Amino acid sequence: MSTPARRRLMRDFKKLQEDPPSGVSGAPTDNNIMLWHAIIFGPHDTPFEDGTFKLTIEFSEEYPNKPPTVRFLSKMFHPNVYADGGICLDILQNRWSPTYDVSAILTSIQSLLSDPNPNSPANSMAAQLYKENRREYEKRVKACVEQSWAD
Amino acid sequence: MAASGATNDEMMDIGGAELDNNKNEKMFTLKKWNAVAMWSWDVECDTCAICRVQVMDACLRCQGDGNRQAGGKQPECVVVWGECNHSFHHCCMSQWTQQNKRCPLCQKEWSIQRMGK
Ligand SMILES: [Zn+2]
Ligand SMILES: [Zn+2]
Ligand SMILES: [Zn+2]
Repeated sequence: MSTPARRRLMRDFKKLQEDPPSGVSGAPTDNNIMLWHAIIFGPHDTPFEDGTFKLTIEFSEEYPNKPPTVRFLSKMFHPNVYADGGICLDILQNRWSPTYDVSAILTSIQSLLSDPNPNSPANSMAAQLYKENRREYEKRVKACVEQSWAD
Repeated sequence: MAASGATNDEMMDIGGAELDNNKNEKMFTLKKWNAVAMWSWDVECDTCAICRVQVMDACLRCQGDGNRQAGGKQPECVVVWGECNHSFHHCCMSQWTQQNKRCPLCQKEWSIQRMGK
């Protein structure tokens, strides 16, 4: 049952354990290495600070030649996150490279929280508030941070 | 591998030349520091960034079940160098270039410079 994608994911997991990046963590689910659970801690000095945001990462047998599907389980308010938790991030779509691994994916999403790109919005309300009413944007994000502790 | 050997030799020569002007003690310290820096750089470049296995070993795909005979190494599992000087397993790279003709590390257009062991 071992395939190149599964063996690559075993290596990703080993690297994540031996050399854990700060502020993110992830592990395969108990009986399926193709489905991972991950947590991204909200970066310091951003409205996301103190949040513990849960995600799922779903890989196909074509990994690492094709990117996985990454989705927030926690409710998010962010210009580049869709209502269903899907993420609009170039490296997970057209700028994917087979040299990326789970660690690189999670740290890229973490930096997207610090630096939203309001010009390609997945949530137009969040993008608009981010550009025009930063105080209201931060208030809505803080509500997600508090909700992230509960779920 | 051969390239790094040559570089080390050059450094020894430079060391020898400067030896005429300087005291022995100082030269030894400098030479050692250079050699260590070279080595770690070399190791990094020898790992295939796609499957994370050393390029001199069989790639992750060829290490799979059913390919165990002959140490798991397929004859076609060779190293490929691009014009950009990045190297990968030929197996890993041919999978990737089916969908994208750029080097996965530097995004330059991928063209093969040489192939071999
Ligand atoms: Zn490889
Ligand atoms: Zn191979
Ligand atoms: Zn390159």
